[in-house]
Amino acid sequence: MKDNPPASAVSPPEADAARRVATPAGVFESILRPFRRSEGGLILAILVVILLTTLLDTQHTYWVDPGPSAWNILRHAAMLGIFALGAAIVIISGGIDLSCGSVIAFSGSFCASLMVVLARQEAQSLGIWNIVVAIAGTLVMGLLIGSFHAWLITVLGLPPFVATLATLVGLRSLARVMVENVTQQVLGHRTTQIQIFDKQFRYLATSVWIPVVLFVVLAGLAWLLMSRTVVGRHLHALGGNEQATRLSGIQTDRLKWLAYCIGAVLSSVAGILYIGATSVAEPQTLGVGYELNAIAAAVVGGCSLQGGIGTIPGTVLGVFFLRIVMDAVAKVIKTNADIYEGLIVGCVVVVAVAFSQLRQARGMRKRFFAGPLGIVTIINMSLFAGALGALAGQNAALNMSLFAGALGAPAGQNAALGQITIGGLTALTVFVLLWLARFWESKRSIASP
Amino acid sequence: MTAMSTFIDIQHITKQFPGVVALNDVSFDIQAGELHAIVGENGAGKSTLMRILSGVITDFEGQLSLRGQPVAFRGTRDAEEAGISIIHQELNLVENLSAAANIFLGREKKKVFGLLDDHVMERAAGELLVQLECHVHPRQLLRELRVGDQQLVEIAKALSLETDILIMDEPTSALTESEVARLFRVIDRLRKQGVTILYISHKLDEVFRLADHITVLRDGKLVRTLPRSETNPRQVTHLMVGREIEAVDLGAPRQPAEVVLEVENLSLPWRGHARAWRLQNIGFSLRRGEILGIAGLMGAGRTELLECLFGSSPEPPQGHIRLEGRPVRFQHPAEAMQAGIALVTEDRKRLGLFAHMTVGQNITMCTLSKSARAGLINQRLERFMAEGIVNKLNVRTSGIDAAVTNLSGGNQQKAIIGRWLLVKPEVLLLDDPTRGVDVGAQAELYRLMDQLCREGLGIIVTSSELPELLTLCDRILVLCEGRLTAEFSRQEATEQRIMEAATLRVQESA
Repeated sequence: MKDNPPASAVSPPEADAARRVATPAGVFESILRPFRRSEGGLILAILVVILLTTLLDTQHTYWVDPGPSAWNILRHAAMLGIFALGAAIVIISGGIDLSCGSVIAFSGSFCASLMVVLARQEAQSLGIWNIVVAIAGTLVMGLLIGSFHAWLITVLGLPPFVATLATLVGLRSLARVMVENVTQQVLGHRTTQIQIFDKQFRYLATSVWIPVVLFVVLAGLAWLLMSRTVVGRHLHALGGNEQATRLSGIQTDRLKWLAYCIGAVLSSVAGILYIGATSVAEPQTLGVGYELNAIAAAVVGGCSLQGGIGTIPGTVLGVFFLRIVMDAVAKVIKTNADIYEGLIVGCVVVVAVAFSQLRQARGMRKRFFAGPLGIVTIINMSLFAGALGALAGQNAALNMSLFAGALGAPAGQNAALGQITIGGLTALTVFVLLWLARFWESKRSIASP
Repeated sequence: MTAMSTFIDIQHITKQFPGVVALNDVSFDIQAGELHAIVGENGAGKSTLMRILSGVITDFEGQLSLRGQPVAFRGTRDAEEAGISIIHQELNLVENLSAAANIFLGREKKKVFGLLDDHVMERAAGELLVQLECHVHPRQLLRELRVGDQQLVEIAKALSLETDILIMDEPTSALTESEVARLFRVIDRLRKQGVTILYISHKLDEVFRLADHITVLRDGKLVRTLPRSETNPRQVTHLMVGREIEAVDLGAPRQPAEVVLEVENLSLPWRGHARAWRLQNIGFSLRRGEILGIAGLMGAGRTELLECLFGSSPEPPQGHIRLEGRPVRFQHPAEAMQAGIALVTEDRKRLGLFAHMTVGQNITMCTLSKSARAGLINQRLERFMAEGIVNKLNVRTSGIDAAVTNLSGGNQQKAIIGRWLLVKPEVLLLDDPTRGVDVGAQAELYRLMDQLCREGLGIIVTSSELPELLTLCDRILVLCEGRLTAEFSRQEATEQRIMEAATLRVQESA
């Protein structure tokens, strides 16, 4: 280098690149780079889950019926994705919207009420204009809800968590009041739900392609907004450093208004689709807990709850990952799989976020089970594993009589006892393993100063 | 210097952060009962070393010995038990607790059933505070105390831990003269009690007044440890920067043109505070092609004054501001920016930088809509604008796509100044622009400000470093507790006279 300064001065970037690729570690690094980013990791994770589901599903649905399975996942992912996009935009701008689920319930009920009020009946056919007006009205209602959030947050100065928690509770209640009143007035009897039989309206959600196309279009627009426009850049800035954004002469209050409106309107769109899909607007059960699914999808997709960090493509992948995991559980467990949904979402979020946190902080050298909290955590995890083991044992006892027989509990005869045994054994095994891990951790931390 | 009296022995300590070697094979020792000053520029590794000594940083290479015994702290608790306490520059106290509660935080005295024994704690705290000439009631809430008293509360906390090694990080940076004098008396008394003191400062007059030994760090390396009696400030400065500080010569005197900004009777109320006014009856004017300096101690209202001019003050100011002859009243920084006023904030990390963004994105933040059509960013134009600034201001970066956090403090500051130059302002407000910037980059920033000024910009700059203002400014205003106490032209101004004006009211009230 020293002998030949002009050459290196002429093309430093090339020389730099050559040096980077020349080492074997450099080559390895460049192959792995896409997977280091959360998007690459997510694609990998999605493929792994699909593969596992194909193998573990006793009917091998994915293998036998790939087309319908894919459409089914796509349709569900699209419905979840539409309001998850809104949640992601709010999170990137440094806020949080806990109200998605209730906004879905409220706007679904509002749309149904509007249609029934306009048509004066719960008829088979409502007329196309009634439907259009009802949908437009619902979207405007979404704007109003978003604006109300923005007012609570920017003018009253409520923390976003509190403001949207209030509407989470309030809007569902309001929706129930509304439905009871509308049914009383229009149909003459008070009920807690409104049935929608209209074929044209239901086609919105029962057709596979409308939700999917809508999701693709909305995701494209959201991506354009967040990565190519001035407003998107400002939203990222707002999430990263609100004070500095304001001091850069940017109207932060208006940005928040926009973010919460996008969130609420997208939830309203989802609300309309959900009542179309189920043909009934029942505010008591519609969209309960969906806000957490949306936040989970955004966070799994790489959005930071501190704000400022996150992408729309990541969020879309997060949506698919979450939906595929839920579908996998349904395929593997078969009966009553929906009651496991919350459990799965919770686990996925903890694992995904913990993983990204630990990767950032070089935390793999951390001690996870130190001190009294560590001991309680070991007990916690053992109990959890035991419970899961017992549940899996139910399947095992039913499906694999061989295994049950080996344990001395003949299949079907004493399934409950077999379940308890399996659960207990699992808990014990996990307990011993974690205790060993704790011991190993403490050894290691003494060895390295 | 026998091994017997070596109290703290620092052997070959190296500490790396991602991308930076903060300390590189540093070895020296500290004698029992001495006051050992550690000096160096920003980024020299002083605070990293102190964080290692006080147990904040626990993973480092090298060996630390105390009283001849090797020690390995696992946390600040271990260091406290070994008798080491640290008084941070940013005080480490809970504002909503009383002085006594702060002193005993984490080691509260208890009665039966684990109830707090406030009476005992308050009496003990009172005794400690009296010993330190700090005349506040132990039950007074910390946020009601002046910075100097808060600092003494922290020292009292250290004493209650039976500390025999006290680390003080820039302890005088926020104090008035009388408070500094009191602190020095306290330090003398502590030394008589046999407390070993590590004193970190960049104010050489203090260091030479107090220290027995002076250790100079530069770029993470130990330069030398010198007995005070065998050295002088000039030599220490030389060792700190590795060269004589070149006096920045900004050439011929500037020729200020017409008045661009006028301020009359500007006042900013301070609700619920004893002083009632953050700023009171401020009046001055700024010409094009002029650098106006604002001097004052911490809390004098320098930052608040700039915030009023930029429309970002906590509440709207009273009085009149005229920009190019037109009266203006800004509700939001956006309006100030539109009218041609730019503010480079004091606290770069908190108020200026977008740490998760690239250098280019940081530069174009204010002017993004200029490079956009129908809201869509024209990326070519954006890159062109950012690269223009990088070249014009000589921002040293590997490219505009580099993360802004990879830049040194001085280059980050240049990027932020560049952000505001793109706005093409009439008036540029710079709030302590060289804070956290090393000496070399400081000189560059001075030249940049001079150049911008000669291009016709009106500049207002605040600083806590008087030599900086004396180098840069055509005129200097002095604030003291929210009032304008003096105005000097470049010829009239001396450090002595500015200091007198800045502490006027403090001395009166003391």
